[in-house]
Amino acid sequence: MATYKEASLATRPKTLDPAEYFNLSPDYRRAEEKRAALRAQLKRQYLQQLNNPHRKELIEDPALTRWTYARTNNNYFRPTAKTSLIGGLFGVLPLFALYLVFKTDRVS
Amino acid sequence: MLKVLIPTIMLFPTIWLTSPKWLWTTTTAHSLLIASISLTWLKWTSETGWTSSNMYLATDPLSTPLLVLTCWLLPLMILASQNHINPEPISRQRLYITLLASLQTFLIMAFGATEIIMFYIMFEATLIPTLIIITRWGNQTERLNAGTYFLFYTLAGSLPLLVALLLLQQSTGTLSMLVLQYSQPLQLNSWGHMFWWAGCLIAFLVKMPLYGVHLWLPKAHVEAPVAGSMVLAAVLLKLGGYGMMRMMVMLDPLSKELAYPFIILALWGIIMTGSICLRQTDLKSLIAYSSVSHMGLVAGGILIQTPWGFSGAIILMIAHGLVSSALFCLANTAYERTHSRTMILARGLQVIFPLTAVWWFIANLANLALPPLPNLMGELMIITTLFNWSPWTILLTGLGTLITAGYSLYMFLMSQRGPTPNHIMGLQPFHTREHLLMTLHLIPVILLVTKPELMWGWCY
Repeated sequence: MATYKEASLATRPKTLDPAEYFNLSPDYRRAEEKRAALRAQLKRQYLQQLNNPHRKELIEDPALTRWTYARTNNNYFRPTAKTSLIGGLFGVLPLFALYLVFKTDRVS
Repeated sequence: MLKVLIPTIMLFPTIWLTSPKWLWTTTTAHSLLIASISLTWLKWTSETGWTSSNMYLATDPLSTPLLVLTCWLLPLMILASQNHINPEPISRQRLYITLLASLQTFLIMAFGATEIIMFYIMFEATLIPTLIIITRWGNQTERLNAGTYFLFYTLAGSLPLLVALLLLQQSTGTLSMLVLQYSQPLQLNSWGHMFWWAGCLIAFLVKMPLYGVHLWLPKAHVEAPVAGSMVLAAVLLKLGGYGMMRMMVMLDPLSKELAYPFIILALWGIIMTGSICLRQTDLKSLIAYSSVSHMGLVAGGILIQTPWGFSGAIILMIAHGLVSSALFCLANTAYERTHSRTMILARGLQVIFPLTAVWWFIANLANLALPPLPNLMGELMIITTLFNWSPWTILLTGLGTLITAGYSLYMFLMSQRGPTPNHIMGLQPFHTREHLLMTLHLIPVILLVTKPELMWGWCY
């Protein structure tokens, strides 16, 4: 893989370091090169948008969008034994416990 | 009363007949004029409980602060909506302001009503313009879901209220509040009477909202446009509180036993919703959950039925209305600039917008109930009366106050301090209109420190 050259602003990943070549299989090297190429393309896209003097809007970050969607929509909640226990302990038990506390306190 | 109601109705021809160039100016000026006329209600001249009355509408020390708040809020809503409605065609802009004005009319008639059935009709009528505002002008697809939750939660709660009111009319012969306050206490001792008691209150508890049935509120507040959020947080929630205070007059002595579950739900809700606030990523959602938390305190204060509880409830309602609306306006300014409600995106704004940081600071301090602002005074009165009711409540309310301070400071620090994201450019400087909006929200809160008698209600 002596012909591999990284993108002008990217750093060379360790596994493509020529000093490491002899330990690795050709498939692994090809996969690493493809991943490095993708990372370099993404970084190039981001830097193009960042340094564009005519840009007025926000750079859209798909990771942020995914993260906010995951945090706000409770699609990942599943009623298991553990979650039901927590829900009962914090949501149902305090109501009855507080009722007993207040009732005995006020009646006595 | 008519000197405010007729100008509000005349707002409709103003909206539809002004030329497009002058639309926003004239509607803002007209609604500010209505707001200043409404301030004349604050002068107490009458010896009896009710003043400025005709046959169907009257004001009394309970409804006057809420009426003034409603009238004050309309020009603020119009000011806040000006920017995001501007790109739309003129007839749609007129329609939007018409919806706000119709909401105003219904709210004035609701708070001024002397017959409970008229209050009920106006209570239901306010749902329709709000639903249209949320589902038509909201910004995300979730607005449909939000509108559905909002409509059906409130409707399901208020249908038992209709039945209860009809039963009350049949047994006492009248539904006028002027008369019912002097009627004999009803004998309430059977299961049917317990259901009637619940039917009277569930509608208002859903509207307040109480912790168990609060699910509509975060959705509706988040998906609504800024004017919708403002009117929801400031006034529509208080309709629930006001209704509860009116109905409590007739519901003794059963309330001593039946109020327990609701007081417990309200108190536990303060802590639960406060804790949820600390884990929110969406700014408007945080403010919405903080509204649930404060209204839990109000619900607790009302259900205790002591004079301090009622006074504390009204003061907290007025103060929370102004401050919550201010926070929604601030959140909207961040949204209009970054088109996202995520808190970590609009960070470190203090270095870019220093004067706005002052408004954020004051609004968040008011939210966490800093003395001597009326938020604290209301909360303190409710906490005291709850302590008198049972000393163990101080654990819940004290912890709730601590968590409120926590999330209010969290909101301030997340939005103002910290590193500014360096990929954000092109944030428009703050418009004078937005500064004016914030001053008009926060100056009344500060002025109310000097004359809290305006808000105290009957009890002083």
